[in-house]
Amino acid sequence: MPALTAKLSPSVDFIGAFDPKIRTFDIIMKTANGSSYNSYVVRGSAGVAIMDTVKKEFSKDFFLRLESLCKYEEILYIVLHHLEPDHSGALEELMLRAPQAKLIISGRAVLMLKGIIKSDVAFETANTGKIISLGDKTIEFLSTPFLHWPDTMSSYLHEEKILFSGDVFGSHYYDERLFDDEVGDFSYAFKYYYDHIMRPFKQYVLQALNLYSRFDIVTIAPLHGPILRTNPQYYIDKYEEWSSEAKFRKHTFGKKMLSVFYMSSYDNTHTMAKKIMEGADSIEGIVASMYDLASLDESNMVDLLEESDAVIIGSPTINGDAVKPAWDLLACMAYLESQGKIGAAFGSYGWTGEAPEMLHDRMRWLKFRLPVKPIKIKLIPTKEELEDCFAFGVEVAEITMGKMVEMEI
Amino acid sequence: MVSVYLKNDNIKVNVKTGKSMREIARKSGASMEFGCRVGDCSTCIAKIVHGADLLNPINDKELLAIKAIGSKEENLRLMCQCIVEADEGEIEISYFF
Ligand SMILES: Cc1cc2nc3c(=O)[nH]c(=O)nc-3n(C[C@H](O)[C@H](O)[C@H](O)COP(=O)(O)O)c2cc1C
Ligand code: FES
Ligand SMILES: [Fe+2]
Ligand SMILES: [Fe+2]
Repeated sequence: MPALTAKLSPSVDFIGAFDPKIRTFDIIMKTANGSSYNSYVVRGSAGVAIMDTVKKEFSKDFFLRLESLCKYEEILYIVLHHLEPDHSGALEELMLRAPQAKLIISGRAVLMLKGIIKSDVAFETANTGKIISLGDKTIEFLSTPFLHWPDTMSSYLHEEKILFSGDVFGSHYYDERLFDDEVGDFSYAFKYYYDHIMRPFKQYVLQALNLYSRFDIVTIAPLHGPILRTNPQYYIDKYEEWSSEAKFRKHTFGKKMLSVFYMSSYDNTHTMAKKIMEGADSIEGIVASMYDLASLDESNMVDLLEESDAVIIGSPTINGDAVKPAWDLLACMAYLESQGKIGAAFGSYGWTGEAPEMLHDRMRWLKFRLPVKPIKIKLIPTKEELEDCFAFGVEVAEITMGKMVEMEI
Repeated sequence: MVSVYLKNDNIKVNVKTGKSMREIARKSGASMEFGCRVGDCSTCIAKIVHGADLLNPINDKELLAIKAIGSKEENLRLMCQCIVEADEGEIEISYFF
């Protein structure tokens, strides 16, 4: 392999590694075009900073590139914007080779560092506003947590207007031409990366964009895929648009969405669902709707869940469990923010009836608010039981509209 | 009874002295988030809007976690380390701020 490096600006070079063969990333992502682990060297009059490393298996390429541009003794700082192993894989070795270098990580990364490097190493932490100097070059740090781990941060090189954004604005897209104006069409990979990695953290994306907006950005240097230098604002605008677009109905009609998802074999859970929906829909400000899980695609599930302020799930108990589509629905929460959503569960059963309780429990782990106990009904609901279902719908809807819950425990 | 108001969830829970915030969160259905439950991960960090003195005193793990996060907010606590110690009064808690 040639020790290929690439210049972003007079004092910044790419020294990352290419992984053309990878086809699945982090278990959850398909990577048809492979990927890259981007790392950069910044040169100042007093010495250099290394911005992130690469996945361990690719250390050799990384060190070759690094050595073609600087000596280990020149390294003043090693900055890790994110400790995930795809970027911290060569850290331990780099610190051995450059023992004088100061490691810089975010405050939230401190406890993680111990889990990544098993030996004790010296480090400094950075929060928004911290500045390091390389002589004639100045790097300012920005705290941008949860994008997509608690520890993530970004930094900005003032003199050359480069934003080191971490995984933000990344794409799994291998192309050695490297710059957005020279590589192939990576737009699908840019969106796919956002959808799978950033979408659960929309509020944090918006916070980060707000911090970025303080700076004049000429080049965005992310940790994966093409370096964005043609029109960085285009990519920033995309992130802004995608992070703001949920809750269309809430913003347009001022209503809150309550969705009842159910599955039913002999119509009992379905009958309950109808009554719960009726009850919920009777509350001013709520639009309640019902969806049969038997025929919802995953992408529809994700969109519906995202739009819903309250999610009520109904499943019969089958062989001591809730039905698979109900679990599939909840598995979609991996792509979404759940904080702040109201949840509730119900279902008809024959003799054990654990499904509603199990769904309720799972929703608790997913950080739903669960102010109402699950409701289960033995086989065919009676008229009185259907009134309970109506009241259940009313209660969940009222709480969704802001009714305070008071209790004693 | 101490009244614990969980602001983000709009839930008011009346509890006797000795109740842990973990139990209060779980039993009330609040969406307060916990991770390790032993004070290591900072997931459960929250702000005591008022009534901080009605809880047990802050411990070393919490001080360390708050320092690491570098926030200038006052009265931050790790919810997994908090217990209601008073008999009377009102506490208000706000999480994910
Ligand atoms: C996309 C992604 C999301 C993650 N989310 C969490 C999380 O929410 N909580 C957590 O404790 N760890 C999380 N992790 C960290 C992994 O659990 C951790 O890296 C683990 O060591 C991976 O184990 P493995 O090597 O068996 O895959 C996440 C990792 C990735 C890649
Ligand atoms: S849950 Fe980890 S610190 Fe409280
Ligand atoms: Fe990552
Ligand atoms: Fe990454």
